[in-house]
Amino acid sequence: MSAVFTIAKRDIKSYFASPKGGAILFFFLILMGSFFQNFVVSYVEYEQRAAMQGGQAPTLEQLLRAFFYNLNFILVLIVPAVTMASFSEEKRNSSLRLLQTAPVKALEIVLGKFVATAGMMGIVLVAASVYPFYLVLFGNPDSGVIVTSLLGMFLLMCSQLAFGLWVSSMTNNQFMAFLFTMFGLFLLLVLNWLAPTLSGGGSLETVIKYIASTDHLDSFLKGMITVSHVAYFLCFTALFLFLTNVSLDSERWR
Amino acid sequence: MIEVKGLSKRFGQLQALNDVSFTVEKGQIVGFLGANGAGKTTTMDILCGCIGADAGSAIIAGHDITEQPIEAKKRLGYLPDVPPLHLEMTVDDFVSYAAKLHQVPINALNTRVNDTLQRLALTDVRHRLVGNLSKGYRQRVALAQAIVHDPEVLVLDEPTEGLDPAQIVQIRELIRSLGGKHTILLSSHILSEVQNTCDRIVIINKGRIVTQGTYDELTRDLSQGKVFRLRVARSVNDALTRLKGLPGIVHARIEDDHGTDAIEFGLEKSASDNAPEDVARAVMDGGFGFRELRQKTKSLEEVFFQVTK
Repeated sequence: MSAVFTIAKRDIKSYFASPKGGAILFFFLILMGSFFQNFVVSYVEYEQRAAMQGGQAPTLEQLLRAFFYNLNFILVLIVPAVTMASFSEEKRNSSLRLLQTAPVKALEIVLGKFVATAGMMGIVLVAASVYPFYLVLFGNPDSGVIVTSLLGMFLLMCSQLAFGLWVSSMTNNQFMAFLFTMFGLFLLLVLNWLAPTLSGGGSLETVIKYIASTDHLDSFLKGMITVSHVAYFLCFTALFLFLTNVSLDSERWR
Repeated sequence: MIEVKGLSKRFGQLQALNDVSFTVEKGQIVGFLGANGAGKTTTMDILCGCIGADAGSAIIAGHDITEQPIEAKKRLGYLPDVPPLHLEMTVDDFVSYAAKLHQVPINALNTRVNDTLQRLALTDVRHRLVGNLSKGYRQRVALAQAIVHDPEVLVLDEPTEGLDPAQIVQIRELIRSLGGKHTILLSSHILSEVQNTCDRIVIINKGRIVTQGTYDELTRDLSQGKVFRLRVARSVNDALTRLKGLPGIVHARIEDDHGTDAIEFGLEKSASDNAPEDVARAVMDGGFGFRELRQKTKSLEEVFFQVTK
């Protein structure tokens, strides 16, 4: 099991040994910051309008939900950038041979890569929680919702990372890995809206909606931790880590 | 120590390996020789568990690489043809990482890494990034990765590729010093390297083992029917005609690579032991001016070209 951490440690270090880790955080924070500023400005606007003309004032929870939905979208860009190189780069420069000839199981390699990417995304998530933290500092939002939202986001990230690793394990081209991962994650995001047209209603629609990540995330953003939704993310992650393992092992069958 | 039995591998239409079998005894250094695309790297990749074989088995230190891969890989160090390096790491970090992957115990880690770096003359560059090193240094870092855990079996795919002559000599000496304690399979297309370093030689061509044995065995087997070289002072062509008339002489011809005063000829297996004497007498009698008569030994090059033709 120590191999998992040896691999993970090296990978996380390598994100920051190159400009990559920094660049990911830089663009992520620029995007999130500008959106957050935008949300706060409109929140204040609505609040003033409600005070002058009467009507329902917006709540901080609504602001938070908008923020996390936004994060959900940006992850579609960030996660592929984090996972794209995991296997494809090692395949391209043949450093994968080092792992393949070491006394390490394919599953340990997969878990090592997963822990590394999860660590990197953990850093991203910590950086992103600066904004909810501001709200706690200057307002009084329901902090329970923030915690469940962050948890939901982390689970969502894990499932996305597992998917990204699987794609990366099937190619030696980083760009292809990025593109296909982004496409896949985007599809998972919008599947909810496409479901009626794809299925024409009925039970198929329910199945397609179940596959989409949106509904599962929703309950976390509303402040609920539901076993079935936690299970969805865990199963999704496990499934794609398993597929990555298969894809890596299959080099020895072909 | 290394036992390869009946390996076959097909890549689409290409039969890369066909029933490849050989063994390497404990402590031996065996040279694996073949032209580009002969199947050296494929054999080594299968041997080290990177790709699977269609048929056959590979056993390393008593452990089958497909049945007990972890046990086999613990005892194995592999230098692939493309060095498996992380360019963004320092030499020190990279070698320690390789050592940790190969389960070198934590308390022995530093000594092992230091020893290895010293052995490969990498101490001066230990804090530099692998990506900033020249090709020769990178090759040595890759070699460090293969020997840092002191494996029983070493598989080296063209270890001196890209090194300068002084480094080649160093690496050869290193490999020779590793022999005896370690079992080494070494591939190369540089024949003199194999001739100098290896105890035994396995020659592969188009996915098949064509011949194997010690250098002496290989050259002896292939020089049946001895070859001689004769130098005369004058009238080489007349001497050649005269020679062709003698019994037991075959393939007599003017040697083309050294001026035109030399004749190369072979002796039939059945020729009598006196044949060289007859030749000498014929030259003396003909007044061609006897200069030199000697038996040619075959170099590994000739053996190689003969068996892979």
